[in-house]
Amino acid sequence: MIDQETIGLLLKGVNNVTWQSLVMIGVSFVLLYLAIVKDYEPLLLLPIGAGCLLANLPLSPLIGEEGMLVALYHMGVGNEMFPLLIFIGIGALTDFGPLLENPRLVLLGAAGQFGIFLTLILALLLGFTPNEAASIGIIGAIDGPTSIYVSGILAPHMLGPITVAAYSYMSLVPIILPPVIHLMTTKEERLIRMPYSSRKISRRTRILFPIIVTVLVGTLVPFATPLIGMLMLGNLMKESGAVERLTKASAAEIANTVTLFLGLAIGSTMVGADFLKPSTLFILVLGLLAFALDGCAGVFFAKILNWLSGGKINPIIGAAGISAFPMAARVVQRVAQEEDFENFLLMHAMGANAAGQVASVVAGGVVLALMGAGG
Amino acid sequence: MENLGWGLQMTVLGMGLVFALLAVLWAILNLILKLDQEEAEPVTALEATQAAEQIAAVADGAVGAQIPEPATVNGMRADLVAAILVATMQHRRVLRRQAAPMMRSYWPGSQLFASRWVAAGRTRQNNNWQPKGR
Repeated sequence: MIDQETIGLLLKGVNNVTWQSLVMIGVSFVLLYLAIVKDYEPLLLLPIGAGCLLANLPLSPLIGEEGMLVALYHMGVGNEMFPLLIFIGIGALTDFGPLLENPRLVLLGAAGQFGIFLTLILALLLGFTPNEAASIGIIGAIDGPTSIYVSGILAPHMLGPITVAAYSYMSLVPIILPPVIHLMTTKEERLIRMPYSSRKISRRTRILFPIIVTVLVGTLVPFATPLIGMLMLGNLMKESGAVERLTKASAAEIANTVTLFLGLAIGSTMVGADFLKPSTLFILVLGLLAFALDGCAGVFFAKILNWLSGGKINPIIGAAGISAFPMAARVVQRVAQEEDFENFLLMHAMGANAAGQVASVVAGGVVLALMGAGG
Repeated sequence: MENLGWGLQMTVLGMGLVFALLAVLWAILNLILKLDQEEAEPVTALEATQAAEQIAAVADGAVGAQIPEPATVNGMRADLVAAILVATMQHRRVLRRQAAPMMRSYWPGSQLFASRWVAAGRTRQNNNWQPKGR
């Protein structure tokens, strides 16, 4: 005969289902839906959704003391290794040529980080602590690894919602940026055509660029050294052409493996009791606001440059001064062609976009430096 | 209000530092490009855009680049295969419509489509058989 204790053991899983775990399983389904059906950043949202699902099943051994997801978290998220490894891959796939051809665009990248600090102020007003506010603001860098790195140091308990917000909003660039651009510019401004001049960038300059950026940023903002160092290491490997196997591995196998591990580890932090708080909702809303403010600030600064240059700069390229490379540039090109099909701004927008990538890392380091953390 | 003051201070300091750092980078890049002595040549917007597309295509491989791998069928893009399939089916329907009466898609007398055979017959019926000028 099956006694009461055996039945209790058999039904242990069912007995431990809580409303929080049910809600979080629903959240994981939403993430999986976004990744599989809507193609929103599937490389990361699918593992995050899976990690969230596995972590919220009743009595999941995966998040037990020696569970696999916990081990993954300690292996690469707790010590910030995974986002840095991903940065090597990003560096290996990024061509900074458009920025080198037109170095003044680097300032548009700087303007595109304004949302970080404005959101920080809003988060402070909503009652978040300075560390938490800075972590929420960094979503405005529109840079997944930077968001994970900075929030992992300043507010590790908020890593889950911040990562989900950062990557979700990155995939929403084509939806969020066009209304911001239309709101901030007139039709006449969007119609401005920009002349092209192709400067042949020598191999020497391409190799010097990552080295100089690393030395400069690393010296002036030591907190940014891990981020900028890894990004530029990947770029140096690519541009030098000396280590093709390592470049390919960093951009493909290593980046893919680390992405899977990172997604699962981040998803495992989304446990109902910790995730289902009003603060999560605030983080998602503030993150969206940070993104929109970045776009506004970028366009506004480009308007100033346009005025200073006597109408030679199309202000909409300012919206590309964020880190989502190359999607932001493509969105800017699409908006320009909606007004004038023969207006080609892609190369200029790519320059601003590449600048945004460097600037977001610098901004991450600056935030850590100002908060007196990291390093 | 204390927090607000601190936040404003952070914003001014933070943005100031970001701008200052990138301005220094801008100056250094200009210096390198000067030393490199590579002159800028005007190129057409189309050429520049094609070059930019190539750069973007490589960067699409990065995590966070938002471009999922397109679905493929036997190595061809799925949307292209679908377009070819639709075009083939449409072509087959047109050929069938234009074929002899025994092959046509609609029953004789249908107003929907006339085969070449029927169309030719109707044209003959509409011709005026009376000599011109009468």
